[in-house]
Amino acid sequence: MNWKLVALIFAALAIVAGSLMLTKATPMTAATEMFKGSLGSPRAISGSIREMTPLLIAGLAVFIALRAGLFNIGVEGQLLVGAFTCAVVALRAPGPTGAMLGAVSGMAAGALWAYPAGLIKAYRNGHEVITTIMLNNIAGYLTSYLVAGPFIAPPGDYPATATLGEATRLGNFLEGPVAVNWAIPIGLLATAGLALWLRYTVSGYELLAVGANPTAARFSGVDPARVVVRSMLASGAIAGLAGALQVLAYEHRFYADFSPGYGFDALGVALLAGGSAFGVIPSAFVFGALSRGGIRLAIYEVPKGIVGVILGLMILIAAAIRYRKVKTVA
Amino acid sequence: MTGVSKRFGSVVALDQVSLTVEKGTLHAVVGENGAGKTTLMRVLYGAWKPDEGTIQIEGKERSFANSHEAMLAGVGMVSQHYGIVPEPTNLQNLILGAEGGAIIDLAEAEQRASSIAKKMGFAFDWHAEASRLSPAGAQKLEILKLLWKDSEVMILDEPTAMLSPADSDALFGSLRQLVDEGRTVILVTHRLPEVMEHCRRVTVLRNGKAVADREVGETTSQELAQLIVGGAMVAPEPSPAREPGPPMLDVSSLTVRGAKGHEALKDVDLTVRAGEVVGIAGVDGSGQRELYHAIVGIVDPESGTVGMGGADVTGRSTADRLDGGLRIIPEDRHAEGVVEEWSLVENSSLGLQRWAPLRKGRMIDTKRRSEWAQRVVDRFKTRHGGLGLPLSSLSGGNQQRFVAARALESQPRLIIAFQPARGLDILGTADIYRAIRQRCDEGAGALIVSFDLDELLEHCDRLVVMNSGSLRRPPEGREKDRDAIGRLMVSAS
Repeated sequence: MNWKLVALIFAALAIVAGSLMLTKATPMTAATEMFKGSLGSPRAISGSIREMTPLLIAGLAVFIALRAGLFNIGVEGQLLVGAFTCAVVALRAPGPTGAMLGAVSGMAAGALWAYPAGLIKAYRNGHEVITTIMLNNIAGYLTSYLVAGPFIAPPGDYPATATLGEATRLGNFLEGPVAVNWAIPIGLLATAGLALWLRYTVSGYELLAVGANPTAARFSGVDPARVVVRSMLASGAIAGLAGALQVLAYEHRFYADFSPGYGFDALGVALLAGGSAFGVIPSAFVFGALSRGGIRLAIYEVPKGIVGVILGLMILIAAAIRYRKVKTVA
Repeated sequence: MTGVSKRFGSVVALDQVSLTVEKGTLHAVVGENGAGKTTLMRVLYGAWKPDEGTIQIEGKERSFANSHEAMLAGVGMVSQHYGIVPEPTNLQNLILGAEGGAIIDLAEAEQRASSIAKKMGFAFDWHAEASRLSPAGAQKLEILKLLWKDSEVMILDEPTAMLSPADSDALFGSLRQLVDEGRTVILVTHRLPEVMEHCRRVTVLRNGKAVADREVGETTSQELAQLIVGGAMVAPEPSPAREPGPPMLDVSSLTVRGAKGHEALKDVDLTVRAGEVVGIAGVDGSGQRELYHAIVGIVDPESGTVGMGGADVTGRSTADRLDGGLRIIPEDRHAEGVVEEWSLVENSSLGLQRWAPLRKGRMIDTKRRSEWAQRVVDRFKTRHGGLGLPLSSLSGGNQQRFVAARALESQPRLIIAFQPARGLDILGTADIYRAIRQRCDEGAGALIVSFDLDELLEHCDRLVVMNSGSLRRPPEGREKDRDAIGRLMVSAS
């Protein structure tokens, strides 16, 4: 029995319950409402799955960088430029071709947005956290400007692009009470692909080596600088895909303040996921469901921020469980 | 210091060492690497507690719980690797550890700093970043740090290792001045000319024992060299009957700059032929590390070439060299050779991930890799709790066995081993050298770096010596003469 861990979990629950007491809700009603809002009905489940989609794919973007030893805080910005580029491109080439071109150009834009951070890290030893935060700001303001100016849809009283035609949108993979958009199987496939690539290919092995011990990687014939740049490019491309799919599947256009912080939530998703890419799937679902459930709390005047508190505590506890010391056997 | 002993586990680092230093003199402590010099000094300034023995300063018996207490008692040490923090200014570095209170009066500090520096004849830009200091400047700042703390007994560990001859002379000028003021300086060194020229007395340590204590005026550097390495000659092993084959490693006029910009390797020529086990002797920091990095392909040489198996590989990647059969038993396995949190299986292919037997195209052949991991642990009987456990579950010696087996079992053509027996007992050491010999009999070449001269004498076909970045060869016919090699290790160029 790990008493420290048990104490930590109780402390976490106490914090959540305590902060709820300060509002009009009791912890019990809050928990019930959150459950109802996220899993209580087919509609709620569909909503949770929708919330999960960008978190899953953006979570993969953070995850691959994390495995290479990089903390890509820039997923938010890469997702924004990806979404914007996808919307602009898909509007010009309607139909499935447009969707395809939009997704590809969104990935390219995301990769391009991550590229400078990778180069600066690899060849100038500038920390990626700093550079990607800067790039986030640029991406946010730049896309806001572009969508309020050159790319605004007529008549121009709302900063958004025009809406994609039906044929360009990504439809549902599952219809019925619980609707699942095609973006979800795409995300799951990407997860499986990434997990298998890391586990079974030589280049995946080399990426993991750089993340775990860059010096040993160099002595093993791996060029860490090259791996850092490539990982950043891949991470940015996946982040761009997250933005593109959000446009193609759900939003059907790009607008100012497009992302409520998917890229930042994705950091938590990836941290909670642990060592395997498959871990991103449940992790993204938990984040998506809690975020969906949090909306209902507003009725009781509980601030939505409580969801962030719960997620933060979950990450802390997960970290405490994971990092145990291994004993020497011989 | 009287009868000081210090043990680390089963290793006796110091065995009943006594050292008497007269106030107001420059006293040298000399010996090979691992002789116990640094350990003795660390005991003196309180970093380590002795298991036995006492320390007296000016007649009073002292016992220091930590180096802060030693500092208060007036004992200070400048270690081999300077304790200068690069980002802060010189002034901030100077007062680090002796700020004198929670609030720092920088103006007052600067005044006092300037007056101390002036007395020593040093000039510093106090507001410049310390990272801009030259090695000599950093050394001076370290000495000022001791004066700032009013140290009466100053210990300097290999102070001239990074200095040019001119800077070294200047340093000894300053040290003389300190001694004339009545301070006491203990100099830890392996450079005998320094001892002969500047010191009053000298104490020789060997294998953790003080073997001699001499007035410098009454000894010679030959006698000291003999005392340092132990005098006795090792009977040379019967030379291998076979003729060495074609060159596996060909280093030619290689010059490499070190981390501080100095020429760490100067115009080095070295050939290792198939069938040969060549040892590089020398005290730590003489350029062995830079040579090892240049051969592995981690640093680019300033000039000169590295050839392997007849092909010029200068400027080629480490991956290309590994592909050509280079196998490394790294100096620091934690940093350079393994990922501790990975399993034994995953670690068994580190550095061999592109080796044909362990992959199918771009994919890892996981079945073959598991079999391979089994072979690696079996080779030197690595004790483990399961191939799927993290490597950190192995003890240090077993990790070393693992790393050595990984290199030696994977068809090496050129073996570069840096302290291959680190952390191993006598049997483990013999096992690994026997395996290296076996690979060389099959046509590989091996280059071994070690700071343990006896180990090299016992296991290598011939020895070369690194001293201050240059490679020296013992005279013809005396390739394994302990005496000649000892002298080459410590004498000035």
